[in-house]
Amino acid sequence: MAPQKSDEVRSALEKVWLSSRPEALRRLATLERFAETLRSGTSDQMSWQNALSAAHRLSGSLGMFGLNEASSCAEKIEALLGDGPTPDLAATVSLVERLRMLLARTQASSREPQRRDS
Amino acid sequence: MPKTVLVIDDDRDIREVAKTSLELVGGFMVILADSGKSGVDLAQQARPDAIILDLMMPDLDGQQTLVQLKQLPETASIPVIMLTAKVQASKKELVSKGAAGVLVKPFDPMQLSDQVCEILGWTLTGKDVGHDGSPKE
Repeated sequence: MAPQKSDEVRSALEKVWLSSRPEALRRLATLERFAETLRSGTSDQMSWQNALSAAHRLSGSLGMFGLNEASSCAEKIEALLGDGPTPDLAATVSLVERLRMLLARTQASSREPQRRDS
Repeated sequence: MPKTVLVIDDDRDIREVAKTSLELVGGFMVILADSGKSGVDLAQQARPDAIILDLMMPDLDGQQTLVQLKQLPETASIPVIMLTAKVQASKKELVSKGAAGVLVKPFDPMQLSDQVCEILGWTLTGKDVGHDGSPKE
């Protein structure tokens, strides 16, 4: 693609990411709440389904912005939660914390979001 | 006259990235729907050249939407490309229900138009050249 056109596309995608990021963080918060209920032994069907949906959406969307590692992490969470409403606590917490870290990196700069999680 | 593509997905991120990608990279005209029902209604009104349809949606899901689109005379001949996550239904099953092909999420915005054209046998005319501007790291 010609550099000028490529820049135009990158710029447009960056705007989409900036408007999408708050929703991504809300989905992350849903995962964190589920991990907390797992830890406290209070998880239920509703919190599990909400978390599974959040992981599914994150795995499907983050990769479009070039956040491939974060997308892969969300995909692992989705697979873990897909096995049932009481996934392994340690694995769930670890993956959710990892996702938090990867998304936090995207806060550092508003430029070229596609390259932030490499 | 650019071809029109209807994107049906309940996820705003997917809709917006697909629109940006298909318009800027592919030169298509893009219309959007956020549910299976509104997608069927819009397809009947606008008669797009192709439809990209998410598989997993609340209420009327992608497979149910596909069946409706294929049953309605106004939309039956419009090619439908299903959009699925890696772990979801098989391509074979979706094609057997009338889908023209399957795209996997997350897709690369720089490649989406090419993938659509490849599935539909279209020639891409709306973009400049190749893909060395890919956003991948």
